Order: sequence, then structure tokens, then C-alpha cells
Amino acid sequence: MFTLIKREIEDHIAYFLGAAILSSTLVVLSIWAAYNYKDEPPIYSIGLLYSIGLSIPVIVILVIGFPAMGASQMYTDRNRKISAFLSALPVTRGRILVARIITGILAILTVLAPLTITATVLWHLLMPPVPIYPCPIFDMFVTALLMVFACYCLGLLTGWASSKVTPTLAGLALTFVLIPLIMVKGFGLHTAVILVLFIIASLIRIWQKFMSTAL
Amino acid sequence: MNENVIEVENLVKYFDGRCVLDGINLKVPRGCIYGLLGRNASGKTTIIRILLGLEPPTRGQTFLLGAESANLSAKVHSRIGYVAEGHNLIQNYTVGRLIKLCKDLSLHWNDKFFEHLTETFRLPMDRRIGQLSIGMRAQLNLSLALAIDPELLILDDPTLGLDTVARRQFLELAIDLIGQQNRTILFSSHILSDVERIADRIGILAGGKLVVDCALEELKNRVKKFRLIFPESAPENLYLTEIVNKEIEGREIAITVTNWNQQKQNMLETFKPSSCTELPMSLEDIFIECTKPDAVPLAHL
Repeated sequence: MFTLIKREIEDHIAYFLGAAILSSTLVVLSIWAAYNYKDEPPIYSIGLLYSIGLSIPVIVILVIGFPAMGASQMYTDRNRKISAFLSALPVTRGRILVARIITGILAILTVLAPLTITATVLWHLLMPPVPIYPCPIFDMFVTALLMVFACYCLGLLTGWASSKVTPTLAGLALTFVLIPLIMVKGFGLHTAVILVLFIIASLIRIWQKFMSTAL
Repeated sequence: MNENVIEVENLVKYFDGRCVLDGINLKVPRGCIYGLLGRNASGKTTIIRILLGLEPPTRGQTFLLGAESANLSAKVHSRIGYVAEGHNLIQNYTVGRLIKLCKDLSLHWNDKFFEHLTETFRLPMDRRIGQLSIGMRAQLNLSLALAIDPELLILDDPTLGLDTVARRQFLELAIDLIGQQNRTILFSSHILSDVERIADRIGILAGGKLVVDCALEELKNRVKKFRLIFPESAPENLYLTEIVNKEIEGREIAITVTNWNQQKQNMLETFKPSSCTELPMSLEDIFIECTKPDAVPLAHL
């Protein structure tokens, strides 16, 4: 399994580099904004405006970048007959797919984990304790992880389909349904449950398609 | 040890409504070198791909080393070496990287034998697979398949693209492998002289059916071709059974018959031909006779 994950990472290293650059840029910007505007009141502060201004392009990058990675993994496989070659070795199709999904999760964590750690540390250092809602960062992290992973799963489905136009459009439409979902429902259990159900459905479909298609 | 390494039961495969395989039944015992022959698009590669679980069958079941093809475990895969038609390797990898990947994924790897092969074939480790010639890709694919000391080796037209010297090297390697006990080889090829040289059992696919499935020597002994010349015009019907092919031209008839015996000989003599000559048949001749569009399918010999 480790060899398969390593192979996936090496083959899609550009996405990992992109994720690492995005993550480190956001970490630096967060620290800079937090220290420069720490004395201003939280509401109406320039720091908050910066955060909102930054979060929009970041969300767009995440919900487009990770589906693109999923689609690229599957499309490259199909195009270069990689799974057909690997399946002739002591590797099952199931393992190939699991390794691919783990690689996707690792790429997502490359962006989200450093951001979450930085945000948690800054929260504890700079923010006064808020007794009503003490730690929104964990909820935000879980929701963001599930949302990006759901988009990634859509990418996997699109990449494996032989016809590209319909699934791409459907994937994009569904991706942009997920963003308003979070805006309406907010972070928390309700959104997480909806996203988890969506992810399970996507994974079952990918599994069924990947295991039954001719390689 | 007499068990079957490969088993195919009533295999049917349709592609876009076209029947490619129509009820194939096949058993390959351990230690056998089975040559699978057929014209282009006769279904040889499809059978191999279904056996390896790369293609789902429309109907029927296939088994490799006792395990159902659709559910081959990694352990069973580790006992099978496969050389795909067109040498389906990862094109953007270097030779060295591909070898490392295969080695890391294999449960057993014969370093010494693999080094011997790469030295024999002079494979360049730093070149990308896509930059290799077809012949070199074939050599690399074969080396990778042999490095795991496979119990079962499946070769789908492995000598395609190889020059004469490389083909000879390949055949010698295959013969070496055959020398090792309990190794089984299934291979398809268009070069019938190669098949004739190493196979001990032959299967011929035509029209979606396995029209021949028997030992090579048996096939040669039982399929006969005669040229008959009659004093006047040749009779339309010779009243012989198991005629694979018949060509009539004026006073002359050329017939290919299976299971030739004294009874058939006597029947033929009642027509009083002025001459009856047996024509020597190579595997290629038998193959051509069996795969002619109007050929009558042979019963399993």
C-alpha cells in the first residue's frame, strides 16, 4: 500500500507542491494579519476584511483544485492504462483505488492541517476566551475537510467516466451547491452529516465503477 | 500434480452487441505450454484479459490457479507473470523507476535472474519507456514478468516487434523456463513457427469458438490434406465426414479432413481417383485451413 501511495504522490507531485505553497502563503498571511490588527476590535477590523477577502479565492481554489486532482488521477490512469499494468502485478484494484483516495486526503491535509494548527495557536494566543462558542476552528476544519473531500470525490468520478462533458458539468454544479450549503447551514454537525452522506454515495459509485470497468 | 492451472467454462463475451467469444471451454493443466492461435480480432487477447480479471465476461466463469478471475488476490497475482499485447507499460516512467515499482510491489523478486535478463537485453535504466523501441519495451516487459519466477506465465503476442535475434533469445528463455518443473505457459502469437517450436498443446479460435483444442502432435497426426485428381470432372460430394475444407477445380479436389482412417480411405477409393497425394501440413497450413471463412468447425480433437 505504501508503494502505491508513494507512486500516486510522485505522479501528482504538482498538486502537492501547489497545496504546500497555498498552505504556507495562507499561514504567513494569517500570522501577519493577526499580529498587525490584533489591537483593533474584531468586528469592522481590517484584519477581518482581509480574512473574508482571502477566504473567497481560497475556497474557489480548493473546490476547483481538488476535483481537478481527482479527475487528473483517474484520467491519467485510464489514458495511460496504469491500473491495467498494476493489476497484472500483485495488486488488487481495490488497493489501487484506496491508495489513490488516501493520496487525495493527504493532499487536502497538506493545505488544511497547517492552516488549522496555525489558526488554533493564534486563537489561543490572541483571542480572549469566548465561553459561548469556545473553539470554532475544529468545526471549521472538519467542515472544510469534508467539503473539499466531497469535491475531490466528484473529480474522481468525472475522471473515470469515458464521456467527459456531462460529468464535468454535473460535478461543477454539485460543487457549487456544496458552497451555499455551508453558507446556509454554517459549520457544524448538520452540514457534516449532509457532506458525509454525499461522500459515502460518491465513494460507493466510484468503487462500483472502478471495480467493474474493463481496464 | 495434475490439476488445471487455467479453466474457462462456457465463456461468452459481447462487445457492442457483437459476439467475440461464444461458449469457450478450455482447460490447461499444470506444466503445459499452451499456444492460443487465431486471426486478428478472433478473441485471443479478450480471453487473456478476462482470465486476468481486466475485462468482465458477459457470461461464464474463468479460473486461474484455482481462483476465480474476477477476484484474484494479490497472492495469486504474485504467481502469475503477464506480458501484455503492445507491451502496456507506464510510458512516462524511466526504465529504472518502473523496475523499482514492480520490485517493490512484488512478493517475490529474483534479482539474479532479472540482472541477467537486463544485461542480456542491454536495457537503459535512465531512458523513459515512451522513448524505447517496441522491441526494447517487449524485452523489458518480458524481464519484469520473468523476474517474479512465475508459476504461470501469460504471454499475449510477446514477440511482436522483436527482431529475429531478440525473438530467438526470447524463445530460448521460454524454453529455459519450461525446463523448470511445474511452470505453465499460455501464449498467443501470430508467428506460428514460434508456437510450433515451444507449444505442446494448441487452441485455435475462429468465429468466436475454440475450433481446435488438442496436443500439437495429435493435431498434426489427425488433420490430413489430400490432393485428388480424377479422370473426368471431380465429384461434388465425396460422402466423407469431418471435412474441414474442400476446394474443387476441374478434375482436381483438395480436401482437408480430420480423423483420417481406413474407412475414409475406402470411401475415397470408390470414386476411383487417378491419383491421391497426401500433402504435408505444417501448423501454419492447419491454422489457415481451420480459420478459412467457409471452414467447417472441427470437433475437439
